[in-house]
Amino acid sequence: MAGGSFGQALVIDLDVGGGDPLPLSDDVLRRYLGGVGLGTWLLHELSDPAADPLAPEAVLAFVFSPLVGTPLTTSAKFAVVARSPLTGMLTDALASSHFAIAGKLTGHDAIAIRGQCDHPSVLLIDGDGARLIDAGETWGMSAAAAEAHLSAQLGPGWRIASIGPAGEAQVRYATVSHDGRHAGRGGLGAVMGAKRLKAVAVKACTKVPSADPAAVLAAARDLRARSFGPATAKYRELGTLSNLLAFNAINTLPTNNFTTSTFADAPKLAAEELHDLRSVTRNSCASCAIGCEHIYATKDGGSARVEYENVFALGPLCGVSDPDAVLAASVRCDDLGIDTISAGGTIAWAMSCAEAGLLDAPWLRFGDGTALLRALDEIGSGTGIGPLLRQGSRRAAAELGGDAPSHAVHVKGLELPGYEPRTLHAMALGLAVNARGADHNRSGAYEADLSGELDRFDGGDAHVAAAIVTEDRAAVMDSMILCKFLRGVFDDPFEEWAGLLSGVTGWDLDGAELARTAERIVLAKRMFNLRAGWTPEDDWLPPRLVDNPLELSSGRVAELSSARLRAMVDAYHVARGLDPDGLPDPAAYADLQLTAPLPDPAPDPLPDPAPDPHLSPRPKVRS
Amino acid sequence: MGDVGIVLVGGRSSRMGAPKAGLEWHGSTLLRRTVGVLRRAVDGPVIIVRAPDQAVPETPDDVLIVDDDQEGLGPLQGLAVGLEAAAAHGEMAFVCSTDLPFLHPAYIRKVLACFDEDTDVVLPMVHGHRQPLAAGYRTALAPQVQRLLTEGARKPAMLFDVVRTRRLDEDALLSDPALAAADPGLRSVLNINDPDDYARARATAPPTVDVRCFGTLARSGGYDGHDGRPVAAATLEGAARAVGISLDQHVVAALNGDRITRDGHTPLMDGDRVSLLSADAGG
Ligand code: SF4
Repeated sequence: MAGGSFGQALVIDLDVGGGDPLPLSDDVLRRYLGGVGLGTWLLHELSDPAADPLAPEAVLAFVFSPLVGTPLTTSAKFAVVARSPLTGMLTDALASSHFAIAGKLTGHDAIAIRGQCDHPSVLLIDGDGARLIDAGETWGMSAAAAEAHLSAQLGPGWRIASIGPAGEAQVRYATVSHDGRHAGRGGLGAVMGAKRLKAVAVKACTKVPSADPAAVLAAARDLRARSFGPATAKYRELGTLSNLLAFNAINTLPTNNFTTSTFADAPKLAAEELHDLRSVTRNSCASCAIGCEHIYATKDGGSARVEYENVFALGPLCGVSDPDAVLAASVRCDDLGIDTISAGGTIAWAMSCAEAGLLDAPWLRFGDGTALLRALDEIGSGTGIGPLLRQGSRRAAAELGGDAPSHAVHVKGLELPGYEPRTLHAMALGLAVNARGADHNRSGAYEADLSGELDRFDGGDAHVAAAIVTEDRAAVMDSMILCKFLRGVFDDPFEEWAGLLSGVTGWDLDGAELARTAERIVLAKRMFNLRAGWTPEDDWLPPRLVDNPLELSSGRVAELSSARLRAMVDAYHVARGLDPDGLPDPAAYADLQLTAPLPDPAPDPLPDPAPDPHLSPRPKVRS
Repeated sequence: MGDVGIVLVGGRSSRMGAPKAGLEWHGSTLLRRTVGVLRRAVDGPVIIVRAPDQAVPETPDDVLIVDDDQEGLGPLQGLAVGLEAAAAHGEMAFVCSTDLPFLHPAYIRKVLACFDEDTDVVLPMVHGHRQPLAAGYRTALAPQVQRLLTEGARKPAMLFDVVRTRRLDEDALLSDPALAAADPGLRSVLNINDPDDYARARATAPPTVDVRCFGTLARSGGYDGHDGRPVAAATLEGAARAVGISLDQHVVAALNGDRITRDGHTPLMDGDRVSLLSADAGG
């Protein structure tokens, strides 16, 4: 067995309350590494991709990785993987800290959960095995409160991942969180809530050696030293919020639901401003030397964890410039346990609809912080427009009908992060084609746009290549797992990562094999989506962003034409070895080592009265 | 397809006594500046037309260099070669010589904006002269120019009589608010013919630009960078240096919120807003 792993997953069936080990061969571990890669393989093997994500048979997997538990900086991370109730596709989200280490040291490389508790419960896993206890009064608490309550109840050594009230209510963009960090995107908290599972608590009971501990220690020392260099200065000094003012200066800050790309009041929300005006503390995940978390004091004496994405989504995207309102909204999202990007995106959609007279909510206006907080409260309580907004922008728009879908800015149902695609053409492609939907953590193609190496307004072959490179790198980083904020310290990423993994696992990996691993993981995700109902039309951007010119502050007009996007998407599919139906070469599919046969191409889309075609089970197995 | 920029660098520069393309310009060269101004104004590539084996100063990798094999046939020959090379990249080209130290992107944009479907050439008339080497040409004219050459023509003026030429006087040019603000004296067309011209041009104060630094750069710059700071600098590198930042691999720059570059030779104009960003933006 490879170092750094146990060669088994624990498969829990909540209907019966127990768990069984699932052997993981060395071959599978080497092919998929861990984290997102292994989670994708597990989802293929353990679940029906077409099953309703909120049904009992849906599978939710917590997946660890070979590097977890080593002294390598930023390695204490875990992936949560399931079919998303927001997109109907695969969603994989990462969170950090001690849960990753304790979860792995229960003796498992992954914990996969299916079934449904008959009442709200907490799943405990330690050296005595897996068991359920009553969630008791934690049901209804915020994730942070539930975590604190369970920590006190269970005693030292237990680490807890929990959902908040939004997960319990199956809000489709609810999160799973641990120690204040969220596995945020795609509604994993709703999947857990549908299982009536408030929390998963894990306690370490064993150890796992690396193949070459001395080499790993030396690599850890080297990596730690490099992590203090200029490539991570941004994260250490101001955190990701330092993007905000810079993005505003380069017409890349989506504002008022993507109607403009600059926000006049951006300085009020800027890290450069707030850092000097508020008391700020820094924090870091377990095993991290960077410490990118910047926690700002709030008006009411509390504190808010501040990142670019939550400030963007609850600030400029909704036109809100009052920092107190934005920080309060961010705290409210944390308390409810919802993804700030999808929350902000859905509320911004609702603001557009309210202003266009499509939604009867005259109080909901861009720029109104009080309205933003009220909308979040209604999402939390399920009153007023809350039930509509709980569904995310795509479903809500389909329900509202008329012109409402044209205001919904999402890909595959996942609301866009804070990157304006019309001024970032490599990123536009990355957002359009990524398996998870519009997401900046699975496609970092903006790096190429912002590098100065290619023209960000002139998407073409170089942008396609850049989107593939960054997607591949993300696939490996999210599987081995290292934090992406460390990515800038690697000069030759695949070779250097192969070296780190070899020291831990004992495999004789090289960069070329890891590059193939990346392609395999990307393909495996796409194949899950294909089996779940993906069609080629899903790799596209929303109408607001295509053939809709955007005037820049320089006077130039930025546009992403449908012809240009079509050319880039087609070139991406070809480069990924996919035919027009999204199907790969049979040999590439065989390399995935999946039990399920290669799916048939999707049938031609029929006129579909259902608001979400992705959630209508569509059996598509080649006979 | 976008518009194309064409720079003709042939010619003997006999009065200057040295090739004009290589004249020093605020730490860069006159050719590098001209190419940089064109890159700021056109969407398509920039093409340099040179004599065979003519040494040209270093330019960015994406600049296309084509050889004009026929020596001694004058600018009409260079125009023919340039337009032929440009035809694959765009319908319109702005064509200029390399000796225009005050050429402004707003001038180029105005000239190119004056094309319509009935126009083959946009010919500015400035300071009492036609400006054929600061003018716009339809790239499809290449065969026609070639034909004129075989018939013995040597000067661009002969072309203007036989194609649909739109003449733009100073008033027409300055009706464009952006150009009127950026270059009210239309210095864009002033060329350098001898060492005195060059000395006068070189003595002109560099443009004043507004530099803003973001994120960690604002902090390392030791001042509250997002408010901006006026500095005198002819190139991006000069602007960065003026605020104590070097354009290394951790820094990129955007001009007026537009293209992002690391090219320190990028020419600056009065009123430009230079944003210096961490290259590790994102996340
Ligand atoms: S850089 Fe930030 S997100 Fe990454 S591991 Fe460190 S503290 Fe966590």
